[in-house]
Amino acid sequence: MSPFTPEQEKVLQGWAARYPAPLMGLGEALRQVQEWHRCVTDEDEDYLAEFFGVPRSRIREVATFFPSYTQKPTGRHRIGLCRGLSCSLAGSQSMCACLEKKLGIKDGETSADGRFSLETMECLGACDQGPALLVNDELKGAATEESISRLLEELK
Amino acid sequence: MTKLLTAHFDEPMLHELETFRRLGGYEGLKKALALGREKVVEEVKRSNLRGLGGAGFPAGMKWSTVPSQAQDPGPRYVVVNCDESEPGCFKDRVLVTRAPHALIEGLLVAMYAVDSEQGFIFIRGEYGVQHRILQKALSEARAAGLIPAPSSIDLMRGGGAYISGLDTALLETMEGKKAWPRQPPPFPTAKGLLGRPTVVNNVETLCMVPHIVLKGGDWFAKLGTAKSGGTFLFSISGHVERPGVYEFPMGTPLKEILAAAGGVKGGRKLKAVIPGGVSTPVLTADELDTPMDFEGPRAKGTFLGAGGVIVLDETADMVMVAHNIERFLAHESCGQCTPCRQGSYWHERILERGLSGGGTAEDLATLERAGENITGKVICALGDTVGVVTRALMKKFPEDFKARFPERRG
Repeated sequence: MSPFTPEQEKVLQGWAARYPAPLMGLGEALRQVQEWHRCVTDEDEDYLAEFFGVPRSRIREVATFFPSYTQKPTGRHRIGLCRGLSCSLAGSQSMCACLEKKLGIKDGETSADGRFSLETMECLGACDQGPALLVNDELKGAATEESISRLLEELK
Repeated sequence: MTKLLTAHFDEPMLHELETFRRLGGYEGLKKALALGREKVVEEVKRSNLRGLGGAGFPAGMKWSTVPSQAQDPGPRYVVVNCDESEPGCFKDRVLVTRAPHALIEGLLVAMYAVDSEQGFIFIRGEYGVQHRILQKALSEARAAGLIPAPSSIDLMRGGGAYISGLDTALLETMEGKKAWPRQPPPFPTAKGLLGRPTVVNNVETLCMVPHIVLKGGDWFAKLGTAKSGGTFLFSISGHVERPGVYEFPMGTPLKEILAAAGGVKGGRKLKAVIPGGVSTPVLTADELDTPMDFEGPRAKGTFLGAGGVIVLDETADMVMVAHNIERFLAHESCGQCTPCRQGSYWHERILERGLSGGGTAEDLATLERAGENITGKVICALGDTVGVVTRALMKKFPEDFKARFPERRG
């Protein structure tokens, strides 16, 4: 059985048709799967391998190489905290402790209700606004205890 | 002082086509089409425009190595590298947010110059907001007839790997593979995306091109130094009063650039400056007269890189700085070359031991020796960097390292 709905399959077909070669759509297709399932499962990999007509290992090596795609489910709100040099100088370690406390999870974990996950990440390209946060695919600059409280309230 | 890319940054609606055009946008494209391909490439060659993503390869030279349709008939591609991920660099993010049409215009000129009908903008996945800004700008440009068929420009998002920002790894990523750098030759201009001639250019490099076409290569060259033409965007962060993106002519002394950003935060004493992103060895507070073009930092054993200036004040522990950088490289090593994969990991581990109180003087000797066996023995620039920054920090700030890695007796 397909792990995707007929509508979702259409979206994947769209990515395979979009670029000069079908596999050029793999990255965006994986991004889409990650969004739907909060991770890329074994079944997803099987489906994509057949869909693109390549061995399963070709899908897996991409799905496991890039940190945007995960093998275990992330939270509905995926919160990344930058640990790059400029953000570290701006106090990203103490913001990590703050996030861990407020979310009740450790770096790399997902909350029991599936709402939040927390990951420290390498440079997010927002060194002028450190410590930088990435909420799903949006950068949020200059984290403070107060801004984190507000953010988590908004995301509830 | 001449500013090219940031001249209209005080215009709040600069991201919209109407405002961009009112301020002279897309005039460079118009002129390029009137000049003809060869003349455009010639002007870019004369301009001394260098690859501003860090490698500094002369842009006109790169374009001129693309074979003609007669030599190699078939599609050819221009790929914009907007996978900015070098710690300390954020100018591409700012450029795309504020002036997406400047990039689209530059890309269209490049596509015209190398006779390409297909352009791609590869943007890191973490720049979701910027991806949406580019989507909107591209539809504005299409609706205004600026991208006439059969030409087209498409977007693609990355998967969060720093190494995708290296040109050949970027092409692998785009082809739906893991981002393992290729070993050139062949270079992408001969065999790039899907084996076809491909130009990979950085965002800022392409944004400069319309200005060169409009005002001439000689004019642009004169703004900078003998071998680095034009202006350059510095991303300034760390212990500094006003972090942000600052545009200066190539060759401006580092001291002036720091002063523009308000100097060291809180009036504290400057300890060191990373000049071009974490892959570039540090300069000390005594080296602020370094002219910031592609040649100046080289004379001091470091690089302009992509202009990611990170300011470190007197409170910075250089062992922490080295650990942070080597941890980054270890995390981002693609694993293809053993010296980089293993070397970066061991650098991280040894420096971590120093930070947690278990370091010894022997560790420093190991770092010296191991580091020398990585650079030059790997495929790509990431691997070449492993250990280099640490050794520069050890040389320039030995006291910091002696404190964390003491002689132990008995």
